[in-house]
Amino acid sequence: MINIRNQEKTANQNKVQNFIDSREPIPERLELVKTRLNEIFSGTDDFMYREFTCGKNGSIKILVAFIRGLVDKRTLNQEVIRPLIERFSSEEFYTPAAGGRLYERFIEAVINVDLKEADTMHQAVNSIVSGEALLFIEGEDKALVIGVKRVQGRQVEEPDTETSIRGSREGFVENLAVNTTLIRKRVKNPNLKIEMMKIGQQTKTDVCICYIKGIAKDEIVKEVKERLKKIKVDGVLDTGIIEQQISDYRFSLFPTVGNSEKCDKLVGKLLDGRVAILCDGTPFVLTVPYLFIESIQVTDDYYDHAFFATFMRLLRLISLLVSVLLPGLYVALVSFHQTVIPFKLMITLAASRQGIPFSPFIEAFLMIIVFELLREAGVRMPRPIGQALSIVGAIVLGEASVAAGITSNLMVIIVATTAICSFIIPPFIRATMLLRFVVLIAANILGFLGIWFVGIAVLIHLCKLHSFGIPYMTPFAPITSAILKDSFIVVPYWAMITRSGAQEHVEENSGSPDQSNNNKPGDENKT
Amino acid sequence: MEKIQISHIQLFMLLSGFLFGSTVIISPVQEAANDGWLAILLGGAGGFLLMWLYVKIALLNPSKTLVEILKERMGKVVGNILAVFYIWYFIHVASIVFRDFGEFITAMTFPETPMGVIIGIFAVLVVYVLNSGIEVLARLCEILVPIIYIAILIISLALITVRDFTAFLPLLENGITPVLKSAFSIISFPFGEAVAFLMVFPILYKEEKLKKVVFSATIVAIATVLIVFFRDLFVLGSGLIRRTNFVPHLTTLILPWFNVEPLLDITLMIGGGAKICICIYAAVKGLSQIIKIDDYRSLTGAVVIFSVVLCIWSFENVLELFAFTDKVWPFYSLPFQVIIPLLLLLLSFRNKSRPSKQGAQTQTGQKESNTN
Repeated sequence: MINIRNQEKTANQNKVQNFIDSREPIPERLELVKTRLNEIFSGTDDFMYREFTCGKNGSIKILVAFIRGLVDKRTLNQEVIRPLIERFSSEEFYTPAAGGRLYERFIEAVINVDLKEADTMHQAVNSIVSGEALLFIEGEDKALVIGVKRVQGRQVEEPDTETSIRGSREGFVENLAVNTTLIRKRVKNPNLKIEMMKIGQQTKTDVCICYIKGIAKDEIVKEVKERLKKIKVDGVLDTGIIEQQISDYRFSLFPTVGNSEKCDKLVGKLLDGRVAILCDGTPFVLTVPYLFIESIQVTDDYYDHAFFATFMRLLRLISLLVSVLLPGLYVALVSFHQTVIPFKLMITLAASRQGIPFSPFIEAFLMIIVFELLREAGVRMPRPIGQALSIVGAIVLGEASVAAGITSNLMVIIVATTAICSFIIPPFIRATMLLRFVVLIAANILGFLGIWFVGIAVLIHLCKLHSFGIPYMTPFAPITSAILKDSFIVVPYWAMITRSGAQEHVEENSGSPDQSNNNKPGDENKT
Repeated sequence: MEKIQISHIQLFMLLSGFLFGSTVIISPVQEAANDGWLAILLGGAGGFLLMWLYVKIALLNPSKTLVEILKERMGKVVGNILAVFYIWYFIHVASIVFRDFGEFITAMTFPETPMGVIIGIFAVLVVYVLNSGIEVLARLCEILVPIIYIAILIISLALITVRDFTAFLPLLENGITPVLKSAFSIISFPFGEAVAFLMVFPILYKEEKLKKVVFSATIVAIATVLIVFFRDLFVLGSGLIRRTNFVPHLTTLILPWFNVEPLLDITLMIGGGAKICICIYAAVKGLSQIIKIDDYRSLTGAVVIFSVVLCIWSFENVLELFAFTDKVWPFYSLPFQVIIPLLLLLLSFRNKSRPSKQGAQTQTGQKESNTN
């Protein structure tokens, strides 16, 4: 039901596609229906319709309209059309005198397939283009929507972007129905809510909000819905487009909306009180609110030994700092703060920098640019070429540039370390890349003080960020002891009694699951 | 405007950062030399009393800032005049911290960079954080203030091998006068300057924890100043302490193997930054309440620029700055830190005892003054 309502809403907003009035009724005469459909679908060669008759003496005329390829014809034939013809041919099933509308009898006759009623031409056409078959009956002002979508697409497989050592290998696919099933399979609980809506004025893409009622905060769910409703775009091809539209800070380098391709990761987030946004046609699922700490959290942490996980978290945090600061620190050390370097290291440094024509800043800048070029080329190239590229990069630009006396050995080490560290935290790859340059320039101007100024400015920005009402740096600032257990320290899973959910710092209790029992199942349960 | 609140941990961090302030680089008890610990203990006790005074005022006038309290207790005209003086005082404190910071950086790390540049960039950050909101400042302090403790711990532990633990002897070599003098100056700097927190207390989320938070922060501050003092004394000895401008900096230079000067810069920036931000916040918040505008953000830039200009113009050189902070500052601060707050406390007590006698009448009177 909610489907139809949302369709109406989008139709009202829709100014471009006004060739059908949203209230246009379905004509009772089949001839009129045919001409209208031909008008709407003119130039649409994959649109087809079939006419046939059933009933005792062929008294009932039926028109089935669908789009070729989107509809499973075999199911349509065997589960819908055949039972109709067979059952209506016998007198006792169909007697016009028995009362009741004809389409109601149709719904009784067909059991194996979803049937819905369409009241207006607009709904009917929308159903046809989204892959359902439409059944028009002579003499009725309602049509039947037959859910015989053909499911095709990728099999469920391990995602390339997020691999894990332990844990589920199932990743999301492009099909929304499969994705929601994957989530349902893991959370066998009626409190798992899946609410559908359509976004995109031209594409009418199915988007669904998924959360666990009682764990996710109601305000956040409401906020997500409101923001999704405000989206006005022609098409939603990926959740990335939704992400840009619902982010709190659109110009921030740091993501305030998370995405994932892994099923168990998403369910973990749902249990932490996040709201997921799934979109048809993409395996990437958004989670909100997204906090800074989530960038260094990996599902493996929870399955592994807690001490090891803590160590890995610290390592990731350090790698984040290193990938931003290291080139800048080097430049600041060499150009401003030679006194800080221990004497022996100083000698080594001086020796390795002997005969280098560039200043440390230019040297670092060039090397980082070259590295970024290599990285981009490696991503865009087909995989075999990409490998060749990385060999060229490593050997030619590393070895040869040192041998040629353009860069120092130490610089190569530093850029390589920076590069490795920047790959450890994928969500922040944009932020670290750009900040690295800013830090480098600041270090060349004011040394450590410059780095410190930039660092503080970034930190202020991070403290200022919110994601759906939750401060971005939540476990650290404001310090929240309940969530701190799952920050750079990981306590064993059995000790995580409180949820590491997105609570506000002023709140005392952490939304216990029992609350869900008090809430009446709301109207939004209908999906 | 939405209601802004900070948690008690955040207030603790803010207050700790504030009390450290520039004490990280300037020893407040230089004059007392090896008897400084006595001065710190005496001054700390005095500071504790002052803190009790401020907390008491805040508790007697719940969810009101200093400016509102002044207006309510002293009447509109006198209250407003005193509030303007207080705002001047806060800006002055901020400008002196700015100058301390600039002097230190230009003296130690960047001798060739003009001080205006460094203070200017620092001021930009201050404007940014204040315009982001006091809660952002509180969160920032939550992350950064622990770094001060870590830095002090690192420096102190690294120096454990180069110590002379008998350096505090002989006791009271020069009599009790320098100790008392130092104790007096430590009451006004840093503890008395915390009068600025009367502008911050009202946004605390749980007011009942105010007392606990303020007292624990004060005790921690006293303990840390004491630790830093003993470290410097044991490492440098009383003679060097008396002759150096930036005592803790000299201590870190003695550190074997490694130069931790940047660490000191960082602690100074955190402590000084917290102090400047709180003072400027108190000033702009008070100003916005006097001239009755909702949002203080439009004033921040102007006030910060004024403070920066003031800090550069008011002193010729670092010696003048030190002479001023040593000789003039404690007496100059006395009315702001002690006399007016004491007066406020008395007035608050009197007003508090009155409703029990006269009942609802004064309450309505208070309400009227509130709406005014």
